[in-house]
Amino acid sequence: MFHLAWKNLLQNRTQFILGVGGVSLALLLMIALNALLTGSEKDLVAYIEQSGADIFVAQQGVKNMHMAASAITYQDLDQASQVEGVADASPILYTTTVMKVNEVDFLSYIIGFDPTGKLGGPKGVVAGTKNLKRGEAIIDEAVARNQEIKLGDNIQIFGRDFTVVGLTRGLTNIVNSISFITLEDFQDIRGDDAISYILISIEPGADVIAVAGAITAQNNQVTALSQADFSREERQIIRDMSVEILSMMNFSGLSIGLAVTALTLYTNTLRKRQEYGVLKAVGAQNKHLYLIVIIQAFLSLGLGFIIAMSLVWIMGLLLPIVVPGMAMALTPSDLLRVGVSSTLIGVLAALIPAWQLSKLDPAEVFRG
Amino acid sequence: MMPTMQVENVSRRFGNGETEVIAVKDISMTVYPGEVILIMGPSGSGKTTLLSILGGLLRPTTGRVFIEGDDLTKMDEGELPRVRLKRIGFIFQDFNLLSSLSCLDNVALISQLDGLSRKESRQRAQVLLEQLGLGHRLNFLPEKLSGGEKQRVAIARALINNPDIILADEPTANLDSHHGHETMRLLRQVAIDDNRSVIIVSHDQRIKDIADRVLWLEDGEFKNIVEMALDPVCGMSIDIEHAPAQAQVDGDSYYFCANGCRDEFLANPARFLE
Repeated sequence: MFHLAWKNLLQNRTQFILGVGGVSLALLLMIALNALLTGSEKDLVAYIEQSGADIFVAQQGVKNMHMAASAITYQDLDQASQVEGVADASPILYTTTVMKVNEVDFLSYIIGFDPTGKLGGPKGVVAGTKNLKRGEAIIDEAVARNQEIKLGDNIQIFGRDFTVVGLTRGLTNIVNSISFITLEDFQDIRGDDAISYILISIEPGADVIAVAGAITAQNNQVTALSQADFSREERQIIRDMSVEILSMMNFSGLSIGLAVTALTLYTNTLRKRQEYGVLKAVGAQNKHLYLIVIIQAFLSLGLGFIIAMSLVWIMGLLLPIVVPGMAMALTPSDLLRVGVSSTLIGVLAALIPAWQLSKLDPAEVFRG
Repeated sequence: MMPTMQVENVSRRFGNGETEVIAVKDISMTVYPGEVILIMGPSGSGKTTLLSILGGLLRPTTGRVFIEGDDLTKMDEGELPRVRLKRIGFIFQDFNLLSSLSCLDNVALISQLDGLSRKESRQRAQVLLEQLGLGHRLNFLPEKLSGGEKQRVAIARALINNPDIILADEPTANLDSHHGHETMRLLRQVAIDDNRSVIIVSHDQRIKDIADRVLWLEDGEFKNIVEMALDPVCGMSIDIEHAPAQAQVDGDSYYFCANGCRDEFLANPARFLE
């Protein structure tokens, strides 16, 4: 049956190409936005995951950085650093602001860190230094490349001039870019001595969950989360913000995929009506004919799926080059979701042709 | 000898009341192994309806159809495809080959429906097609074949599952005289060599030559039945009722086209009966 299904599908090549192309585009619609958001999530949590911190401490109730405001004190820092199992505690200041580069505005997360501390700064620089001094800044190379900024050039943050002395990599995302200045500059601009977050590393052998729990337990003004939990909360924010768009795209993709596949199968079955009648007359049972339709459905979808995945892969390679800060990534759950959707499309699309075949009277073949 | 097929008082009505049409009326017939039966009649006489009933594609309104003792009319819809697949071979007027498959796959597919693997089916189909002179056309699509070749593929398809009965609907209608004759010779051979029953529905008068019996269907009824026999000397098909000559040897009757053939036969019957 597989051979017949494949040959029937391939017999009208134009219809076959249009059908598979339509399915590919429909699945691409479902995959691409999700891959883009997954890629963005990865970039959005890049600072958190590269920070080297085991625990993030924020104002009580604050569990992430994106679109959040956290204000804690040096007293909180002292308290946290005294908890058993804490090896180091470094403060950072953090806000979202507009950074002006060559008169072009860039939305940026500004992180103020202590260059003499162990945590809070960039993990590494690809050019220049990460040992900041006052009046200096580190920006991401994607922004620098985009605006042709070189080390030693000036940019404006909070309306003040900063000299670029270092370039990071991988800290530009779909929303913004992360830039670093010294904690002192940040405090000077803000005019108070509050801090935003405390980054903590724990002693070897200490249990990160237990230490985070102890920090929260001994100070009800703060919330301490492991880096993994903090990162997960950050990702969830992005997910929550995009869930409606994703649902809409998924529904559109599912509908288009279903329409294209159903139409392809329907016209194919209609075109072969006489031949299926012959098969029924000579002894094929309905189950044989259903199998042909189902195989055709899944062959179209399988090929469409492979083409869509290949396109996403190619887009994933090209996108960061064409649009700095944009990335695509696929997770196993994304693949599973599209796989389940494809199966659903296949089953639904095969229903009408299968019903047509079940009603086909084999005696018709003798009536011409 | 047990009949291959027995048809008892079969009728088929379509519609009811004023629109009722009786396509087949109280038909009875018995078909034996090795027999070629030709059913002729004008258009609208009920030939196609009868053939559909014999093939288990249409249920009669009344009457019964037996294939080797099994009542087709008692079988449910789930059983009939199996009977059509295993015990009946179909040959159609328009050949009805699957256009996307090669000759080999067209034939092999029927065997695959019967549960054989693709490899085994193709091997069996290849042997059959080679026997029918199509060894050089195995991988051709139907559109690349002549009408005669297509009909030979259709015959191979009908034979692949080794059925007892072959039902042919106007098998020569789309063939020229040469290919029509070749097809009929093949069908005759199929009946004789493998002791199968071949039932042919046709308008083609030329086919009468190879039939053992010719049944005339008109207005849904057999009007008169012409029994045919082959002249053992010259091979001509003879209307038994109007045979110019006949002879009895060892209790069997033989019919001849002329006295000359009869005399030649009687001089040495063994020579013609081997």
